[in-house]
Amino acid sequence: MKTSKFVRFLRNGLFLVLVVSLVLILSCAGYTQQEVKVIRHTDSWPCYLDPAVGSDYASSIALCNLYDSLVFPNPDGSVKPWLAKSWEISGDGLTYTFELVPGAKFHNGDELTADDVVFSLERIMTIGEGYGYLFTTSVEGAKALEKYKVQFTLKKTFGPFLGALVRLYILDKNQVMANLQKEGPYGEFGDYGKGWLVTHDAGSGPYKVKEMKTEEYLLMEKFNDYWAGWENKDAPQYVKEIGTTEAITVRTLISRGELEITDQWQTSENLAAIDQIPNTEVSSLFEGSVLNIMLNTKKPPTDCIQFRKALAYCIDYQQIINKIFPGSRPSGSIASSTPGYNPNLKPYTLDLAKAEGELKQSPYYGKLDQYPFELYWVSEVPDEEKIALMVQANAAKLGIKVNIVKIPWLSMIDNLAKPETTPNGAIIFVSPHYAEAGSMLESRYHSRSCGTWEQGEWLQDPEIDAMIEDAIITIDQKERFQKYYAIQEKIAELSPTLWILEQAVKQAHRSDYVVFPAVEDVKQGKLCNPVMGYNFYYRDFKVTSEKAQPPYTPFKP
Amino acid sequence: MKLGSFLLKRLLLSIFVIFGLSIVIFIIARVVPGDPARMALGPRAPEEVVQRLRQEMYLDKPLPEQYFYWIRGVLSGDFGRSLVTKRAVSEDIKEFLPATMELAIFAGILMAIFAVLLGTLAARYKDTWVDSLIRTLSYFGVAIPAFVAAIIFMLLFGYYWPILPVLGRLSPGISYPIRITGLLTLDSLIQGNFVAFWDALKHLILPSVALSLGALFQEARITRSSMVDNMRKDFLSAERGYGIPERVIMFKYLLKPSLIPTVSMMGLDFASLFANAFLVETIFNWPGISRYGISAMMHKDLSVISAVIIVFGAIFVVVNIIVDIIVAFLDPRVRLSTSRGI
Repeated sequence: MKTSKFVRFLRNGLFLVLVVSLVLILSCAGYTQQEVKVIRHTDSWPCYLDPAVGSDYASSIALCNLYDSLVFPNPDGSVKPWLAKSWEISGDGLTYTFELVPGAKFHNGDELTADDVVFSLERIMTIGEGYGYLFTTSVEGAKALEKYKVQFTLKKTFGPFLGALVRLYILDKNQVMANLQKEGPYGEFGDYGKGWLVTHDAGSGPYKVKEMKTEEYLLMEKFNDYWAGWENKDAPQYVKEIGTTEAITVRTLISRGELEITDQWQTSENLAAIDQIPNTEVSSLFEGSVLNIMLNTKKPPTDCIQFRKALAYCIDYQQIINKIFPGSRPSGSIASSTPGYNPNLKPYTLDLAKAEGELKQSPYYGKLDQYPFELYWVSEVPDEEKIALMVQANAAKLGIKVNIVKIPWLSMIDNLAKPETTPNGAIIFVSPHYAEAGSMLESRYHSRSCGTWEQGEWLQDPEIDAMIEDAIITIDQKERFQKYYAIQEKIAELSPTLWILEQAVKQAHRSDYVVFPAVEDVKQGKLCNPVMGYNFYYRDFKVTSEKAQPPYTPFKP
Repeated sequence: MKLGSFLLKRLLLSIFVIFGLSIVIFIIARVVPGDPARMALGPRAPEEVVQRLRQEMYLDKPLPEQYFYWIRGVLSGDFGRSLVTKRAVSEDIKEFLPATMELAIFAGILMAIFAVLLGTLAARYKDTWVDSLIRTLSYFGVAIPAFVAAIIFMLLFGYYWPILPVLGRLSPGISYPIRITGLLTLDSLIQGNFVAFWDALKHLILPSVALSLGALFQEARITRSSMVDNMRKDFLSAERGYGIPERVIMFKYLLKPSLIPTVSMMGLDFASLFANAFLVETIFNWPGISRYGISAMMHKDLSVISAVIIVFGAIFVVVNIIVDIIVAFLDPRVRLSTSRGI
């Protein structure tokens, strides 16, 4: 009896709902096939298209593909002519004169001239965001000498100036000026085009913005009239930077053939699972990022050099690499992938006997229970807790008590602002700002960076400050690198940091139809590009969609 | 007229609620550690640039003065600029709110239909296998958070059986309809763009189902228990005695009064969907206001934090007023009490 009522009930409505649901689901399948060469890459967001604003990973990738700079970075840290076909440096190292390639076009067809270079420099220096700091401290100004000749004047000599110029992306002055918002903090320039450049580009690079959906994706399209040409016939026609790093989303996308390259923020567990998907390859690149435990040299017990060295010898670096960051490698203050790294310095290794020997020389020896070592890790990076626990376990063997504190990133920044609130140890990743050891040395160990999250050591050593300043104003690269070596040796002696490892930037990509040049270079024992973003210079990528093995979802532009 | 004055009173009270909320959130956002200007510009930005941004944001002024400038802007529709998206917050809200609105509306529709349907089924077939099945499903549904459901759905329908889209609001190659409401399904329907409508609808299925499940099953349970309670009431025996058909009793005399607690709860749940959507939005890369708000908190984007909380507060207030109206429609006692001014 009940059953018949139930059947009547189904007739009244539920059946209809079920049928509609079934039709919805069944008709969801089916994608039309279309051969378009595309790279779909997930990455963290935000992604800024304005060269005077962006400087994070996603923005750096976008900028180097949308814009051109006067020079182009080489893997060894040197530069090659790009928009500038040649240059001259004055004897005092204060004047750089560049001869531009004639006929380079912006995406809107405007010709790129010296005026655009001057405008781009003045704009980035006025706004002062993103990579602006590379120029505000060293550059006096620039002037257009001729249509294709531009001259830069420096305030003081700056050895890595040519290297820094890879971050001076040239914008189309006319296009930016035509899109100014009158209201803004930059006087007659209003907002200096910042509002318009949130979703547009004004560049001359190999790709141009087709669509920018904030917080969702950036779609770039190949610029067919690119001034440097397209020798690579298999270069992607479209590039989609997808704003997600969510593990399950990334894994699902690549398994459906809707993603060519994953972001670098996937856990080792997720990468291992992705590696099991056919035709998918996990690869490691080294871009100079070092994982540090910054030791506060102004607070007991880490104000004692012997105590710091004891800690340095009691860490099992290899185990951390094997268990937590597979593929990474040991490091000193400068990563071995960063030009200017001292190859003669050997990183610390686990040696408990040496650790004990150092500790016995410390004034804190015998009263270690009164001086616990406070170790902060950033709550947004769960792997750091594992490192903290491993440090705690090994330090206990020496009788050092480690108090582990989990702290949000915002609080960590606040704590590092003063020496008294900076913990004994802070676990933090740091990357160079430009591809040279000088960048890392300055941001990590010069007194100027004390109080920022890049220096939790509070080293404040006048001798090291002077050495860094001297190295950075040295124009000759060989001489400059020698000075970097000496600074690294001096810093290693002071042992203000526990350099845990050089981080491998790991990502997965489809190996059946995508040739990832940086990965291929690493396989052949060559260096990959140490300048952030340039390993994703898509003009050099090769995509042969016709070779794609299932599952592959063609892209519809 | 009496209902009108009741609503007017509620609206006036709501203004005080939102005003109070604005003060609380303004203070909380600013006592969280970290200098937002320095965070936005990075550790190497020149101090004068950071100082300029602080001045633009009035961070160099005392807290009451900061609040004055902020509330003055809000009253003229200017929520300030986002440090993350670098756009006017009002522009961001205009873009992101409809995405979450569409998601929440679809989740709300699913919630309303299936909660009532399952609750009614369970009550009608009380103590049979149908009831047991629905109750068991409800336990799971209530216990599983939306983001876990989202992951399960993504694995099922995106990974193992890839029949539904899992990313964003529209597939590549489908052009966005001209913006009218910002709800893609509605806009595409208005413009007769059925390809975009169908595609947008497919994109909505997984996130909206994941988002609705918890509330759906909770309301199904409430509907069931409310109906079961009412089944024992004398008025139903009287109606049966008058020979009124069982179906009419079920839907007209039993379901209507039993829906009052469900509707009240549904209102709160619907408003909560906006705030709870952030993980679902993150998983499906849905460009909604909930994810935008969380991202703002991570970056200490003060203007956005305050604006998003105010928007959510306003949504709660509006939804509660609507719920009051529906409950007054369903329950004559409420109508009477409002007309007496109680």
